[in-house]
Amino acid sequence: MAIFNAKDRIIECKLVYYGPGRCGKTTNLEYIFKAFHKQTNSEMVSINTMGDRTLFFDFLPMGLGKIRGCDVKVQLYTVPGQSRYRSTRKMVLKGVDGVVFVADSLEVRRKANLLSLKDLAENLKEEGKSLFNIPLVLQYNKRDLEQQGIPILPVETLDQDLNSKLKVPSHMASALKGEGVGTTLKEALLLTLRHLQKELHWTK
Amino acid sequence: MTEKDLIRRLLKEADLYRTQGLLSDAKSKYVQIFSVIGKSKVLVKNKQLVAGVKSKIRAVDRSLNELRDSPERPELSGDLQDLIKKLFSFSQTEQAAAIEGAVALAKFGQYEQALKEFQRLLDRGVLPVVTAKNMIKCYAALKTPDAAVAQFAKWKTRDFFSTEDLKYIRAFLKTTLEKEGFKTEIPEVEPKPPLPSKSKKKKEEVFLEISAISLHPQNGPMAGQTMDFDVHFQSANTVTLLIPAVQKSVADSLTPGTRLVDIQCYSPITVFRSTGTVSGTAKIKQGPRQGDYTLDITIDAD
Repeated sequence: MAIFNAKDRIIECKLVYYGPGRCGKTTNLEYIFKAFHKQTNSEMVSINTMGDRTLFFDFLPMGLGKIRGCDVKVQLYTVPGQSRYRSTRKMVLKGVDGVVFVADSLEVRRKANLLSLKDLAENLKEEGKSLFNIPLVLQYNKRDLEQQGIPILPVETLDQDLNSKLKVPSHMASALKGEGVGTTLKEALLLTLRHLQKELHWTK
Repeated sequence: MTEKDLIRRLLKEADLYRTQGLLSDAKSKYVQIFSVIGKSKVLVKNKQLVAGVKSKIRAVDRSLNELRDSPERPELSGDLQDLIKKLFSFSQTEQAAAIEGAVALAKFGQYEQALKEFQRLLDRGVLPVVTAKNMIKCYAALKTPDAAVAQFAKWKTRDFFSTEDLKYIRAFLKTTLEKEGFKTEIPEVEPKPPLPSKSKKKKEEVFLEISAISLHPQNGPMAGQTMDFDVHFQSANTVTLLIPAVQKSVADSLTPGTRLVDIQCYSPITVFRSTGTVSGTAKIKQGPRQGDYTLDITIDAD
């Protein structure tokens, strides 16, 4: 999907926030929209229904400015997490350049995380991509709930469940408070742009 | 931990799951609380607590039912539909992008608008069979089999569908409706009387839909080999194939003007041999297939 216009020195890429329903994907984008207002050059498009559930996708275009003489533009998307929207997730993944997998730290969501990661692997495969070679960052969200006495999964368990084979960067986060959102995004962008450099040589 | 403390902790958890929209998890927790209360000789007598938990379970059930009954795909505004078309059409050619945009609308459940888009494309003669099939899928998704059959009856009168096209579309319509559980009478396709004089354009318009082809080059580096390709797009008797970047040598060997004297064509209703000419090649510069090649082959119409 990434488009590199060598003449005008513009690169556009697509980053998708994936994860189980209600894990905080939209909350990540909402925080990015507020916190990185200078870089977000238009409104965030979010289509919700009752209970703030994402039915279609969220879309947030960003302009990162000049990096090594190249104008870098990023499109951030979220997918609907509910299992019945698999075809929508497949559509949103079309042309994806990088993925942020948002895992829910709540103990009761352990199985949902695993199923969602499996779903991501299958959908990427249909796109001709693999979980093992796409730029991917894991985010363990809702860490703040531990302070409220809510049972959450230890990071070691999340690592064991989700990252023992992938061995990709992971970040703890509390998207509602904005903690870890920026670092996750920056790492995902860094990996994606590095990966695209190998493919498109956009910094030449 | 006392029973009271346990109930307090579980309630806190359940309430949080409920506020987070994790309704099934919240319900499980409330049911667990109810079970704990039932086992306690003291708590079971606390009518206020029992009533409170029951009320929470009922409320969660209501929310779950509302969610289950809510439309899976609400109709979006025109602006959002336009955005979907724009964001999910990747092809560079106008026709392919228009089809992709309409397909995206359908995939996002915007069937009514997708039907309008497909109708517009059909009126312009853009990939009529592909467009017709997509329209049938929309009617099936809208659960309007009668409208699909009425549409098919109209297509029978349209010039750009050949008898073969119509037979194929009818079979597709029948299978699609049956898959959705509809048993609807579909008008049969009668052979059209042969046209007195066929212009070249007319001949192209009625060319059979081809879904895949096998090439057997006689010369060049791929001579003697069999190469199978799915047809990505078809416009009249010109088919477009996609060649992966790793098969660059194949793309390089099939330069425009190359004659192909043995092409096996697979259509949904028949398999036939033909000849043709490579009419164009290009490297895809953007989109999900960036780096791959497109290859246009014009199949001899006679």
